Amino acid sequence: MPAVSVEHLAKTYEGVDAVKDVTFEVNEGEVFALLGPNGAGKTTTIEILEGFRKRDGGRVEVLGYDPADAATSRRLRERIGVVLQELAVEPFLSVRQALTRNAGYYPNPRSVDEVLQLVGLSEKADDRVKSLSGGQQRRLDLGLGIVGNPDLLFLDEPTTGFDPSARRGAWDVVRALTGGGTTVLLTTHYMDEAEALADRVAVINAGRIVAEGTPESLGGRDVGESSIRFRLPDADGNPPIPIPATVSTNGIYEIKTDKEIEVLATLTNWALREKVNVVGLTVERLTLEDVYLRLTGYEPDTDPDASSVWIGSS
Amino acid sequence: MGGVTPGSRFRGMGDLKLVGRQIYYEQLNFWLNPIGAIFTVGFSVVFLILVGSSAGHQRSSAIGGGLIITYYVPGFIAYGVMAACFNMLTINLVVRREMGLLKRLRLSPLPTWAMLMSVSASALIISAAQVVLVLLIGRFGYDVPFPHNIAAFVVALVVGAISFTCVGLGMSTLIPNQEAGAPVTSIVFFVLLFLSGLWFPISSSSGLAKFSSYFPVRHLILSVYDTSIVQKGVSSWPWHDILVMAIWGVGGALVASRRWSWAPRQARRGHSRSLASSGMMGGRRLG
Repeated sequence: MPAVSVEHLAKTYEGVDAVKDVTFEVNEGEVFALLGPNGAGKTTTIEILEGFRKRDGGRVEVLGYDPADAATSRRLRERIGVVLQELAVEPFLSVRQALTRNAGYYPNPRSVDEVLQLVGLSEKADDRVKSLSGGQQRRLDLGLGIVGNPDLLFLDEPTTGFDPSARRGAWDVVRALTGGGTTVLLTTHYMDEAEALADRVAVINAGRIVAEGTPESLGGRDVGESSIRFRLPDADGNPPIPIPATVSTNGIYEIKTDKEIEVLATLTNWALREKVNVVGLTVERLTLEDVYLRLTGYEPDTDPDASSVWIGSS
Repeated sequence: MGGVTPGSRFRGMGDLKLVGRQIYYEQLNFWLNPIGAIFTVGFSVVFLILVGSSAGHQRSSAIGGGLIITYYVPGFIAYGVMAACFNMLTINLVVRREMGLLKRLRLSPLPTWAMLMSVSASALIISAAQVVLVLLIGRFGYDVPFPHNIAAFVVALVVGAISFTCVGLGMSTLIPNQEAGAPVTSIVFFVLLFLSGLWFPISSSSGLAKFSSYFPVRHLILSVYDTSIVQKGVSSWPWHDILVMAIWGVGGALVASRRWSWAPRQARRGHSRSLASSGMMGGRRLG
């Protein structure tokens, strides 16, 4: 049985469709990321799954419960953890007091010391919440989300506003949790976050899921064309390149191809034969960000400074 | 509905302990904030001592020529209850809603009834502490006797405290954002205190008294006064005052149950802003 199952979910706010038709499943023990631009329906979807909002259409099951069913809502909330986008902790309590109080809401909580250690706040346990830095408060937020020892953890943009080292720390916490079997449903703007954490991702745009898959295969990344880039030392005095390439004004040549082995062989043979010093040679597949931008309808601006020209032999 | 749902139904001893713990943390949160504690509890004591020392020995025709200090002691008892159950509670709830604390509570297994019960009980405990403090200062500082009808005194205070708690719950739903919480509530509170005769006794036949008798503040002051001090021709069971407060309490509870929101009314950032600010994210309702 999947931990979360959503079929044709729909939600309208006063005539505006926030969520139109969302279908996905999250398997037990999996990290599932919902990617999407602002206003795409990520938070609305997650709030319906948490039981915070009622849906207008479709079917939803979370850990076997319907989150809209008031009769089972308390039992469901005992098994989920939620980390919100807002910082929401009483400022005058100590870190330990806040965690101890919330642990008391759950039937099988984690020990407060274990949570303090997981989120790296052991040293700050007896400090008032208001004396914590912004990043430390967000870590406390994460701690409050996991203190109930949840089977399913909702993370709504968990690292927005974190500095790079705090983000790595938060990722480590999530990995430690999933190692213990917790299912995680997260929303994020950050492609590297989805790539680092998620087993599977779904891209949501304008209230619909537009793609779903592993971060490696999303949107055909694994079978699409590669981009081969390099520079040549002397822009004018080169013999003609054997393959059509584009060159940007900053001197980077680019070849797009789905036959990268053949192209590389031709290119390197040519370079050896003609004694051309090819520098900075890279081979890249579409990045997750490229795929994401394409799926969410982003059209790059035409920048005259970066205009490319076709050169080389045909 | 979002309130006391079957899923959050009372589970017996375990839930009683849960409420007890929650009250403990509410109290901790209150007393650990020195400014909040001083402004709520300290004010009634400081005012009583200031006003009592400067004008306490004078007599007032508005209270049948009685010593004015015998009016101020019941008056500041009423003040203490209103400060905790109305002023503090309203500001507290608005701040918690806008910070996202109510939303977090809503997503935790703590049932709504347990949350409301512990917040209200905490306000009642703070009220009771002030009542005892002011009574003791009045008795031993200014020779004001203890209330002559203790039973009626307690009934009036309990009904008053519960009613003002309900009005506070309702009031919190009418305040749109955190910045407005303290100013709006405090202005309403202090204007009503002034009109209702907390600072000086007003004759019940005056126009001011007639106007302020539409609001619950004057009725709490009068009911505490009437149950405390023996007056000729005045019953020591102020049923009329108790009834008016109860009606306001029911009104406050109705407003709260219709307008309650767990989600911040004013979203500060992120993608929910447009929906929230246009009132589309009212959240789930109580009741």
